[in-house]
Amino acid sequence: MPDIFVNEKPSEVPEKKEEIFKKPETKDEVEKLPGHSHNPLSAFCFYPDGIDFETRRKEEKIVLLMRKHIVTNASWIIIGVIMILAPVVLSKFPILEFLPARFQFVAILGWYLITTAFILEGFLDWFFNVYIVTNQRVVDIDFYNLIYKEVSDAKIDKVQDVTYRMGGVIRTIFDYGDVFIQTAAEVPNFEFLAVPRPNVVTKILEDLITNGEKGLRVKIK
Amino acid sequence: MPADTIPILDVSIWFIAKIFVIFAILLYVVFALVVVRQVQLMTDTLEVGFETEVRLLSFVHLLFALAVLIFAFLIL
Repeated sequence: MPDIFVNEKPSEVPEKKEEIFKKPETKDEVEKLPGHSHNPLSAFCFYPDGIDFETRRKEEKIVLLMRKHIVTNASWIIIGVIMILAPVVLSKFPILEFLPARFQFVAILGWYLITTAFILEGFLDWFFNVYIVTNQRVVDIDFYNLIYKEVSDAKIDKVQDVTYRMGGVIRTIFDYGDVFIQTAAEVPNFEFLAVPRPNVVTKILEDLITNGEKGLRVKIK
Repeated sequence: MPADTIPILDVSIWFIAKIFVIFAILLYVVFALVVVRQVQLMTDTLEVGFETEVRLLSFVHLLFALAVLIFAFLIL
């Protein structure tokens, strides 16, 4: 009797790599961590290498280094490009015609000095505003402007509550948001603004608060 | 008397303008020096392996400001 239906042999499905949730112990495991990066301009680095800060203690280990998401730089980059191109475009209009040629030239150089300062300030503001989570503390390094800085920290065991907020089209697309940390330390609130993967940051902080570094559970590929 | 001369002082208006421009650029050079110092302090506060480049950037900015100052002094 002919077969009415023959079940096809199941095609071989590639075995899914097992995901392990644990604290990374070896260097190899750290290298495989999602978010681990060797890029000094990275906005999110899990167990970063070769990073140090002024008040770090010998036994202290940096778990997480964050900056504002790279997308947040778009505003000053766009304005910077417009400022660079402005003299070329404005040369079509006789705005500086009343000045002698040598003054016009110095005015353009002055404009480019201001543009340089604007771009430099935008970059340094992003680069030096970092949030660090170590196995002992939460550290917030703020570089408010070119002449003012602030470094504040709180012990992990003083952290009482961690929440994150993510909303809006751009933030959802690029997966970044704000993480708010309430502490019982001298600095009552820490705000990690516009950091990438706020849900991961919150989870890491909660793991650290609950069980210390031993309680850290991360997905290792 | 030329049209662009201040009558009482008998000084060219562009000479006064030159003094103002050079003073403004001088202030900018001071600002660039502050930036260099602040970058040095910040790179001491935080080490991420990009310190040389950032310091170089602040020095280039200072050199640019100094070059504009000298240039303005010479051509104005």
